[in-house]
Amino acid sequence: MHNKVELTPEAAVRAVMRDILGLSEEQVAEFTAETELFGALPELDSMAVAGLLTELEDRLDIMIEDDEVDGELFETFGNLVAFAEMKVTE
Amino acid sequence: MTSVPAFVSYEFADRKELCLRLGARSFRRVMLVPPLFDEMNRMRKMLVDVMRLLEPLKVGSFLPDLPGTNESLTALEQVTLSDWQNAIKACAEQHGISHIASFRGGAMAVTRMTAENHWIFSPIKGATILRTMMRTRVAADRESGLNTSLADLTGQAEVAPIELAGNILGSQLFMQLNAADIPDMPNQRMVRLESDGKPSDIHIPGSALWLRAEPDDDLTMSSAIARDIAEWIGT
Repeated sequence: MHNKVELTPEAAVRAVMRDILGLSEEQVAEFTAETELFGALPELDSMAVAGLLTELEDRLDIMIEDDEVDGELFETFGNLVAFAEMKVTE
Repeated sequence: MTSVPAFVSYEFADRKELCLRLGARSFRRVMLVPPLFDEMNRMRKMLVDVMRLLEPLKVGSFLPDLPGTNESLTALEQVTLSDWQNAIKACAEQHGISHIASFRGGAMAVTRMTAENHWIFSPIKGATILRTMMRTRVAADRESGLNTSLADLTGQAEVAPIELAGNILGSQLFMQLNAADIPDMPNQRMVRLESDGKPSDIHIPGSALWLRAEPDDDLTMSSAIARDIAEWIGT
């Protein structure tokens, strides 16, 4: 078996966004902290958001509670990365 | 000449369930156990591509419908995880298959087949699948002004059938899935995507199609899967 490789929270969020939106590595590399998500990306509907949360829990080995999830979290790429970084240090 | 996939059937619980099949009778055989619920729809094209790519490698493939899914006449509400496990076993026995490739949640349906060889792609726990489905329900409820929590939904699902993301799950299926862990089979090859840091026997290129908003394909990934399955089965 190959050993477990640790992903940074930012790399994990970028990889999950890439998979949800079906983007290339170059396209998702252009995401900055200000890139708008929910509302700006039609693919990011409530079902995709549900998948995104569970996938981040799985990849970063974290648990996200209902009350931690609000609209602000998905406003920008930066907000989501900051949230993921906060969760892994908890 | 390239042949096209065709439906055959297998018997389970006095019914016939469909199974897509491709490849000559003389070929080595593999069963592809699909992911569950929405993930199955998003990945079916990719799985059928794998079947087409296995044929020139002289591997015959079978993609069964799990009872209660796809073309099955059984209502999902009546189905349990034990049914899925027994159905997959019955299909393998009836078609003489000893190599089983299971994808995502489908891996929970192979646990009764300890004598067979298993190739397992990016498996997930039942509780993880249910969590995503319950989150979709929470978001839908919120849009209708209802404030539901994952804990509320779990409580409801344990006593009565529940609608989650367009699927009606009976209590037994819900509870069995909630308790079902990632299988650890005696003969298994663990396969994950390159973007997945968890331990595996091989990491393959490709994208997590189960997250995609719409069903999609990924030929790089299907080719890598077909090649690895053919090598794993051997001659």
